[in-house]
Amino acid sequence: MGYDVIILGGGVNGLGTARDCAQRGLSVLLLEKGDLAGGASGGGSALLHGGPRALREDPGAARRAREASAELLRAAPHLMARVPFLQPFGTTAEEAEGAALLAGAGATRLTAEALYRLEPGLRPGLRGALRLEEWVVDPWRLAVATALSARAEGAEVRTWTEAREVLREEGRVTGVRWLDALTGDTGVARAGVVLDATGAWSPGLAARSGATVRLRPSKGVHLVLEGRRCEHVVAGAAVDGRPVFACPRGGETWIGATATDSFGDPDDLEATHDEVAYLLDAVGALLPATRQARVTRATWALRATPRAAAAASEAPWAGHALLDHAAEGAAGLLSLVGGRLAWHRAQAEEATDRVLALLGRGPVTCRTREVPLPGGEAAPEPAALAARFGVPVAVAAQVVARHGATAQVVLGPCLEDPRLRLVVCREAGLLAAEVVHCARHELVRRLRDLRTRCRLAVGACGGLDCARVAAQLCARELGWGPAQLRHELADLLEVGWRERRAVLDGPQLAQEELLRGAHWGVGR
Amino acid sequence: MTARAADVLVVGGGLAGAVAALAARAAGAAVVLVRRGPGATAYSGGAIGVAPDLDSLPSDPLSARRSPLESARRLAARRPGHPYALLGVAALEEALAFAAAELSAVLEPPDGRPRFLAHVSGGISECALCQRTQAAGDLRRVRGLVAVVGLSGHLGFDARLVASGVARRLAAGGPQALAVEAAWPTGPALAALDPAGLARALEVPGAAEALGSALREALPRKVAVALLPPVLGLDPAARVPERVAAAAGLPVAEAVSDPPSVPGLRLDAALLARLDSAGVEVLHGEALPGGRPGQRKAVVLPGGGTVEVTAPAWILASGRFLAGGVVRCGALVEPLLGLPVQASESGAAGVHLAGRPAATLTVRERRAPQPLLAAGLKVDASCRPLGEDGLPVHYRLFAAGAVIGGHEHAADGTGLGVGILTGWLAGRGAAGPVRR
Repeated sequence: MGYDVIILGGGVNGLGTARDCAQRGLSVLLLEKGDLAGGASGGGSALLHGGPRALREDPGAARRAREASAELLRAAPHLMARVPFLQPFGTTAEEAEGAALLAGAGATRLTAEALYRLEPGLRPGLRGALRLEEWVVDPWRLAVATALSARAEGAEVRTWTEAREVLREEGRVTGVRWLDALTGDTGVARAGVVLDATGAWSPGLAARSGATVRLRPSKGVHLVLEGRRCEHVVAGAAVDGRPVFACPRGGETWIGATATDSFGDPDDLEATHDEVAYLLDAVGALLPATRQARVTRATWALRATPRAAAAASEAPWAGHALLDHAAEGAAGLLSLVGGRLAWHRAQAEEATDRVLALLGRGPVTCRTREVPLPGGEAAPEPAALAARFGVPVAVAAQVVARHGATAQVVLGPCLEDPRLRLVVCREAGLLAAEVVHCARHELVRRLRDLRTRCRLAVGACGGLDCARVAAQLCARELGWGPAQLRHELADLLEVGWRERRAVLDGPQLAQEELLRGAHWGVGR
Repeated sequence: MTARAADVLVVGGGLAGAVAALAARAAGAAVVLVRRGPGATAYSGGAIGVAPDLDSLPSDPLSARRSPLESARRLAARRPGHPYALLGVAALEEALAFAAAELSAVLEPPDGRPRFLAHVSGGISECALCQRTQAAGDLRRVRGLVAVVGLSGHLGFDARLVASGVARRLAAGGPQALAVEAAWPTGPALAALDPAGLARALEVPGAAEALGSALREALPRKVAVALLPPVLGLDPAARVPERVAAAAGLPVAEAVSDPPSVPGLRLDAALLARLDSAGVEVLHGEALPGGRPGQRKAVVLPGGGTVEVTAPAWILASGRFLAGGVVRCGALVEPLLGLPVQASESGAAGVHLAGRPAATLTVRERRAPQPLLAAGLKVDASCRPLGEDGLPVHYRLFAAGAVIGGHEHAADGTGLGVGILTGWLAGRGAAGPVRR
């Protein structure tokens, strides 16, 4: 089977490029070894602007971030939330430093009084704050929507399928050898151009294929707290002076992030106790009430930053690199590494331009800037949806938040089959109908894929009520036998356990006890 | 402020606390029990596991499996930090018989053999005691075909999944199973009801009979027993399984559930009913921290009133994390009396583990034993909690149930068995002659 281009990696870089390539008429195969957004795309802060730190590192960042958030607001408004960024200062030195940033960044200065009115939970003694524009995007649904768009444009998207090796003949790339992790099938897919967008996994894949990608992988840990502990992104400094932040996301608060070099196996990561304590101490000093907050899980990801020596980026901004491996005897092999979630679309456009050039095609106009992502059209009113389909308003609101304009398609089957109105998880507002929709239409191959599709078993409950019922629904849709159903359920619980075991304390530990009792037979 | 005097004060009203109170009462003691609310017992599957048989394979014949007592003995030999090892299992048989007799309104009498009950997740629960509603589903006893019956509209119960779990024991001499769907008899509002709502709906006169008639219609003649979702009534006095069986013309049983489960709630309600009929005074409220046996213990009632209970013997049956008998807030503590908590099954590990980070008290494999989840008090052979010095904190202070550590009560198949054994020992100890 021949394609124009094979793209490796189901993060936003790979998915965005697959979407763009397909939209510009190329035949595309995308291979992802796990599920969508399994690396830095889904596990990062999801802040589009990034606060003063990003501005300091890159003076053009503010303008690009403004453009990027405006683009995403057009493409997928339902996935965007505006959460202004507050950088409080406690000393005149910090104030002066902040003022220096004021000029170019469009920041405004808040008095102490105004600051405490906005965020009464901040520690006392602050003199004021800088207020910057900030948006947070739902990175999981963004990746899913991008994948669905790519598929709708004709791209073939295969998750749980790993590219084992990039094949070459006479100095040219000819395709990849792949392995389906679920079926064990292997095969060869042919293409003249292969784009590696596997992030932290790039160096390993490149090495297996006779090429070199040099990264400086940085492990970033975030903790998720129950409840909205603030209404803005509030930034502070950790014990070592590095920036930390707290950011409200849905009904949760994310705090982060650590940044430590990590050159080990990217598949073998976990949050450590030191990282957990570091973040809780730092954010506890900023928002004292978070010391009593319930930590529901830790998340981690490897952010792949191109190593300076290897950064052959021609882009006007630092942070990502588009490497061409022709000089290493792999003509046709490109690596897109690093960059920011915020402007993944622009990175994908750049990569697609290069793919077209390598294929010897003439330039085709990029349209990803204008065409909305699936669900990005005008979203329906939750109350109206709730009335029409006979579901609770709060649940309809969650369906809209995840699916935008597609929400009515998600809820449609409720009219035919009232059983699908069953609320599988009250906390996540998850309906049986949504589980069924995701399993049918959203590239779901494993139960754990539903974590990113509809937040199955992601919340504080850990899947107490929802996991088994969702597994039963999924099994029905995907034709799983009972043995596979049990296997998938055990796998889902395993993922949750890894995210929680370093943060088990207080009520979350009691919840874990209940959860283990509920599922103790699963996986035996 | 009112005052009560009793011989024994029990803090905690789950299975362990109730068995302790009933055992003390049976020995002639005047007993006051303080209960905050439903705990791990209410959130259990409602069948009572004593010890999984670690030495048999799923394919070994069910009829030749070890007795729960023998399994408990083997488990004790293998896990020196487990309460069965510390306390011995000599009293287990008597304790189980006592609990079954006291709770005969819901529990089937023990017959010395393990019972194998289908679980809603497609697994099989091995237990020593089961509820009357579950007994007919014991795979070791069923002769003939099991029909696993899903109720149309009730997505929480997947008959195909449960039937496959039953059929997996075929090689071990278990019964054949088939999955059937039956119409819910009492109207279309099924999707709106949680399991407890379904259970209450079946208690209504005529409903259980209608379900039975529907089963008679839906099931082939050769079926020996119908296995239903665990919704066969909350109140044993409503006799739901009996009424369904009479109308269906065949025995019916319910599967074991994950929480929130009707059988768990039913067991919890049965505890309260039996405590009442046995003459144990139950205070629904919260015991305040501090004190030692013989001193006054203040209990705050929900209305704001306070009762002061004075009793020379105390039994701590306050559960683990779910019930708040053990709390982790940075470090593991026992909040009521400040007793030292150990977080390991290993006897030598000691109390200093209580302050260790959660990440170092857990291992990566979810199904492996997790020391953090097995944290609790350490006790001597008389169920008396030990202090930092390894000696009993007080000669008339006892512990029972999940507040005792060394076993993962929710997830190793021994939780309720330990609750009954320790409740029995603590109750008899507290009511008995003073031993120094």
